[in-house]
Amino acid sequence: MRNTRKASVAVAALATLALTLTACSSGGGGDTKSTSSAGTGVTIDDAHSVGAMADFKVGTTFKATEAIKPTLLYRDHPNYPIKSDWLILSALKTNQNVEFDRTDVPLADWDKKKALIIGAGDAPEIIPVTYPGQETQFVAGGSILPVSDYVQYMPNFEKKIKDWGLEAELDTHRQADGKYYILPGLREVPDVQYSVVVNDDMWQKAGITEDPATWDDFAADLKKVKEANPSIKYAMSDRWTDSTPLGAMLQYIAPNFNTNGGWGYSNTWFNTDSKKFELTGTTDAYKQLVTYATGLVSDGSLDPEITQSDDQAIQKFVTGQSAAISGNTQEITNYRTKAPSMKMHLIVLPGGPAGSNLAPGQLTAGVMISSKAKDDPHFKAILQFVDWLWFSDEGIEFAQWGVKDQTYTKDSSGKRTLEPTIGWNALNPDAPKKLNADFGFSNGVFMSANGSTKDLLQSVMSDEIKDWTNAVLAKSKVLPVAPAASLNESELEQTGLLDTQIKDAVYAATAKFITGQTPLSGWDDYVKQIDGLGAQQLIDTYNGALARTQG
Amino acid sequence: MVIETTAPDITAVSSSVAHVKPTRGVVAFRVANTVLLTAITLITIYPFINLVAKAFSSESYIAAGKVNLVPRGFNLATLDYVVGDSMFWINYKNTVVYTVVGTAVAMALTTTYAYALSRPQLKGRGFFTGIALFTMFFSGGLIPNYILVVNILHMRNSIWAVVLPGAISVFNLLVMKSFFENFPAELEEAAQLDGMSTYGVFFRIVLPLSKAVIATMVLFYAVSIWNSWFSAFLYLDKKELFPVTVYLRNLIAAATNSPDAVGSTDAVQIGANIQSVTMLLTVLPIVCLYPFIQKYFVSGVMLGSVKG
Repeated sequence: MRNTRKASVAVAALATLALTLTACSSGGGGDTKSTSSAGTGVTIDDAHSVGAMADFKVGTTFKATEAIKPTLLYRDHPNYPIKSDWLILSALKTNQNVEFDRTDVPLADWDKKKALIIGAGDAPEIIPVTYPGQETQFVAGGSILPVSDYVQYMPNFEKKIKDWGLEAELDTHRQADGKYYILPGLREVPDVQYSVVVNDDMWQKAGITEDPATWDDFAADLKKVKEANPSIKYAMSDRWTDSTPLGAMLQYIAPNFNTNGGWGYSNTWFNTDSKKFELTGTTDAYKQLVTYATGLVSDGSLDPEITQSDDQAIQKFVTGQSAAISGNTQEITNYRTKAPSMKMHLIVLPGGPAGSNLAPGQLTAGVMISSKAKDDPHFKAILQFVDWLWFSDEGIEFAQWGVKDQTYTKDSSGKRTLEPTIGWNALNPDAPKKLNADFGFSNGVFMSANGSTKDLLQSVMSDEIKDWTNAVLAKSKVLPVAPAASLNESELEQTGLLDTQIKDAVYAATAKFITGQTPLSGWDDYVKQIDGLGAQQLIDTYNGALARTQG
Repeated sequence: MVIETTAPDITAVSSSVAHVKPTRGVVAFRVANTVLLTAITLITIYPFINLVAKAFSSESYIAAGKVNLVPRGFNLATLDYVVGDSMFWINYKNTVVYTVVGTAVAMALTTTYAYALSRPQLKGRGFFTGIALFTMFFSGGLIPNYILVVNILHMRNSIWAVVLPGAISVFNLLVMKSFFENFPAELEEAAQLDGMSTYGVFFRIVLPLSKAVIATMVLFYAVSIWNSWFSAFLYLDKKELFPVTVYLRNLIAAATNSPDAVGSTDAVQIGANIQSVTMLLTVLPIVCLYPFIQKYFVSGVMLGSVKG
């Protein structure tokens, strides 16, 4: 019985597919019903506009004209477990007429459950906390809405894309059909968080008071620090290295060598001179990067234990067995709680042979809408609501800071202050209540990238971090985004396998070079090994797609 | 006589070995054996003691790696904190309910199934054993299972989604089946002669005489349901329904690194001591179950394992 049912579903699916294919090949100009190409958009009829505002535009406060209850896939974070009486939920109900029908998913298995529930065709309408690129795996299944067809109903999103010049980066997320399936989180300025945290006392002992201007200076500093502090075995012992060798460190050094590495490693690097993609791991720039890291280890400055756990590395730093460790704007607070008496700071990112660069990328985790939403009578209202909460200035301020005069106050200069009884991160750290755990604001589900505007992002930073961020931004130039090359489904499948195996091989070889297991003289053999894994095929596919996309 | 020498009696040989005076080699072996086993026991116990120590230590001592066997910077604040979280107790209660109901359902199904399979007169016995065995080697896969449970059986967000799929463990079923097969047929015949029905024989004769295997199976099922989180994670969408294992997993697994989780303001910063207290409270009840069942334990598994 069930088998018959499955079989008939399969036949129906095949038939639909065949029909679609025919429609595509014969469609051309005449067929007005087929979804139009990206950009022109699809009109939502009145039957699916129940509760929507007639005049929703930038600056309008969204309020559904009748109560709506979209389904939401909620990522439950252990730092702020959800409570149904949170102010954010009641405020949205009162002011926006929106209430959620939630599916709670623990953070630990968020990606797994999300994939399962989408794969089973059971996805809730709003699916937040999805990084651009993660949506690709779901496109073929048809459960995710090609949201680019509907962005004309999302004025705030469109405006920020335009005002912040994010079109080129957004284009890289278009699928082979020319549409994008995710509303990424948007950042006004690139994300700078990571750098090296140094133990001030140990560095001063070596007579170093200024941050290094270049990574070579940094290497020299590490040597001096080790000499001046004979008690330490290595000047730097790094963390974030157990899944990817030196994941964080190579990532923040790489742009200064005009390449990518560590967590940010991607097999395809766009060469701006030849206007073609090439395999990152075998470029000269990547070799320079690896040579630099290898030098740190062979100098005895960097701990060759590059597969240690984070806890081990942190332990070495907070107990004074090392003088430097990778950190970020949040983690430095964590180190300080572990070593309250130690003085430390994040160094302003040094430059490299290719200048002072930052990796491009102003898109971050955002929202997917499921295809089912378009059959909801409240479809248009849901789109307007998502646009308001995640992308309007008013919505993101609300999601970050809460309700004015209830959780925070704002003076005439625009400076926001949390109520003294409420704390969040570095703000009022000793307050009895937390903005996220007790009220639901500053919640990664309801906002992306701390609100995305530079003003809002910096409004929650301590002065130290704000100064550091501004110093890095002022010093550095952002590398250009690689142009879009939309792979089609069969190409995606093919390159998926190649991509993973080449990436794994590059990581493994990188680790061996850095620890000295393989001498750098073995570089040519390594290049041959990578070529043998199908590097050329991968690159050719991307260059082919690039030519087609630019068409 | 001649025949006996050609086929030496193995039991006689092995029993005579026990009476031989231990040689130096045997003594050395025993000493080495004791030392080795003690070392293994210590290694096994150490993480648990370490967990207890961490549960009552302060965060800074743990971060510095100074906590081994004894709590440093002793405090009960962490315990207070975890115990004060109402969601922890709601989930804890769920675990108890799921375990009790799940074990009862599993035992009811496994004993009856195993007993039926163990009767030689059952027609199609091979087939019914076969379909159970089949599931040991083949499964529908994750998404088909999910669709079956959620969309066809409509068990999402109910205790049955946790309790019913996998209620019969084929391994346990087979152990039980061979236990019942070795059950003296005379006892059942006698009961039948006295006028007992099949159910009467099963409930009044077979089960009361199978306490060892039943206790063992109860332990197997209870421990596996207590520790399981996967089906709850798949089929339950409301926090109030989660078992405590999902709660615990969220505290611990989420804190492991991924580039996405760290670095954002959403980086998980759950203290090692909070994790330890939660783990301790979670394992405690099931650990307490062992001493009561252990006496049945070894004999229970062995009884079914060798066919006499």
